[in-house]
Amino acid sequence: MITASQKPINEIIELVEPYKKVLILGCGTCVKTCFSGGEDEVAVLASALRLSFKKMVRSIEIEELTIERQCENEFIQEASSGIARNDAVLSLACGAGVQALAKQFLKEVVLPGLNTTFIGIQESPGIFTEECSGCGNCSLAIFGGICPVTRCAKKLLNGPCGGSQKGFCEIDPDTHCAWHLIIERLTTLGQMDNLKTYIPPKNWNTSLSGGPRKLIREDHII
Amino acid sequence: MKTFSHLHENLLQGKFVVTGECGPPRGANKAVIDKKISLLKGYVDAVNVTDNQTAIVRMSSIAASAHLVAAGLEPVMQMVVRDRNRIAIQSDIMGAYSLGIRNILCLSGDHQKFGSQPDAMNVFDIDSVNLVRTVRDMREKGKDMSGFVLDVAPQMFIGAAANPFADPFEYRVIRLAKKIDAGVDFIQTQCIYNIDRFKEWIKRANDEGLTERVYILGGVTPLRSAGMARYMNNKVAGMDVPSDIIKRMDGIGKKNQADEGIKICLETIEVLKELTGVHGVHIMAIEWEEAVAKIVEQAGLK
Amino acid sequence: MKINNTPKLTLFHCLNSFEETASMFDGCEMKTVKMACSSMTKDVHLLRAFEAGSDAVLVLVCSDKGCRYAEGSIRARKRVDYVKTILDDIGMDGRRLKIFNTSAKDYGSIKNIIQNTILELEIIGPNPALNHFN
Repeated sequence: MITASQKPINEIIELVEPYKKVLILGCGTCVKTCFSGGEDEVAVLASALRLSFKKMVRSIEIEELTIERQCENEFIQEASSGIARNDAVLSLACGAGVQALAKQFLKEVVLPGLNTTFIGIQESPGIFTEECSGCGNCSLAIFGGICPVTRCAKKLLNGPCGGSQKGFCEIDPDTHCAWHLIIERLTTLGQMDNLKTYIPPKNWNTSLSGGPRKLIREDHII
Repeated sequence: MKTFSHLHENLLQGKFVVTGECGPPRGANKAVIDKKISLLKGYVDAVNVTDNQTAIVRMSSIAASAHLVAAGLEPVMQMVVRDRNRIAIQSDIMGAYSLGIRNILCLSGDHQKFGSQPDAMNVFDIDSVNLVRTVRDMREKGKDMSGFVLDVAPQMFIGAAANPFADPFEYRVIRLAKKIDAGVDFIQTQCIYNIDRFKEWIKRANDEGLTERVYILGGVTPLRSAGMARYMNNKVAGMDVPSDIIKRMDGIGKKNQADEGIKICLETIEVLKELTGVHGVHIMAIEWEEAVAKIVEQAGLK
Repeated sequence: MKINNTPKLTLFHCLNSFEETASMFDGCEMKTVKMACSSMTKDVHLLRAFEAGSDAVLVLVCSDKGCRYAEGSIRARKRVDYVKTILDDIGMDGRRLKIFNTSAKDYGSIKNIIQNTILELEIIGPNPALNHFN
């Protein structure tokens, strides 16, 4: 999933302050799963904003709506009348959702309520970890299913740096050394030879370095 | 055989070499470099010039190395892959060579999180193994990474680091082999305080025949105080200062702790001199260059 | 700011941690919300109680180890802590939201909790989001 966390409420207050009517638009997919932008979070934020504006003796009308996915035009349409009724949309979606809205509603103000963080998983209840950088060129097969590009703080491809101690990374004693995990797992799989192989410099052209990327499926284009 | 630097020449002749370290200043003051040069010259075969070590912004290692060249002291220019992409790396290697720099030490670099500007974006376009290979390919094939044939290709003596004290221990020798395969000529190790673990590592390297393919310089850092010993053990990534060393420093009066630190350092060097597979010592007297002359003289390495 | 009117309180409680008795609500206007288990304490409900005009909100739950549904009390406390930070962030003062471990028969201590809350409101002041338009 794409994970995100809500912006500090005071930053959100500053964002919505210029508007009289604001639609808080939740997204029912990834950010709902990581407790930052689903229906529940929309309700809490709406309530907190109402309280905060009342306290400031300021008037604001807040409408709440959560759609299935903000990154798909089909679902976005469900929000069109709500968006039309309001002066601004505060989107509780990832950056893709915010931009998808902005693309669809050219004349409407779309504001981000979340900080998009990473592609990750819920490792244990309430703890989300980053697993993939979307580099566009997956090498998980040789690394035993553990990504050094994402999970090594130095993106090392040819083994751990000198800062790996007792299984943890030098940058944070709570972060597992990805290379330690890779070595453990490849040992279990009997594939340690993978690590004797020299890994050449990575081609970053398929990642963000190549500029914004595009995925084209010719068979779906009419 | 072609020799790439004086350091290389000395190692080829079978001399037990000594390298020192010079950390460039946090500023543009060349006088700081000059002072360190005067303290080290005549005592060491070459001097590592660090590259924004611990991710604290300093005078560039290329510029500081060039100052050493001009003063007749051979530098080992350190280069980290943290701050440069492959374009800048290759360009800097060419520039360094044109300035008379003949040794390079290829490193990943300390993570910027601990540095003076943790908000910085890191690069890590290529890793240190690929940096070694890049310098090697320039030297052996005369080409840059794109395969472009260089007019004058840098001919550098190539070093890398090894940390026998980092985990997972089993992988440390594999990683050494990988660096050797990539084309490294010499290795400087992390500071040795845990001599038993170092012996185990060098034994494994000997068993694998690695020490015949690469020169290994054991790293030592004289401890200035018990506090420093504790700090290095607890705060410096990848450092292993055993508790008996800390105890030994603790047992000495504050005034004499620095002397004790030098004594420990000399004892370590004595052990290193006798070890098969160790070809020299790398003395990292961090902001304590005065200690180097003393250590070199007392260890009989001058 | 002193409260001029009778303070308004909302009390969320699980079945086993509260039982109303005479004179328990002296000195305040109380609204109670009964929950089958304290794990049903939800952030949005706590906030809405303030929107509805409460000066303070109390949550009464069983002891952490005494929860019939294992972790209800612990979950309730975590959510209360979360809402307290929201209240602090928007200048509402998180102190006006409180959670206590009680048992239904603790009439005396529950009454004390309520009376202390009323007293404390004299210092904290009334719900600052009240009596304004909207």
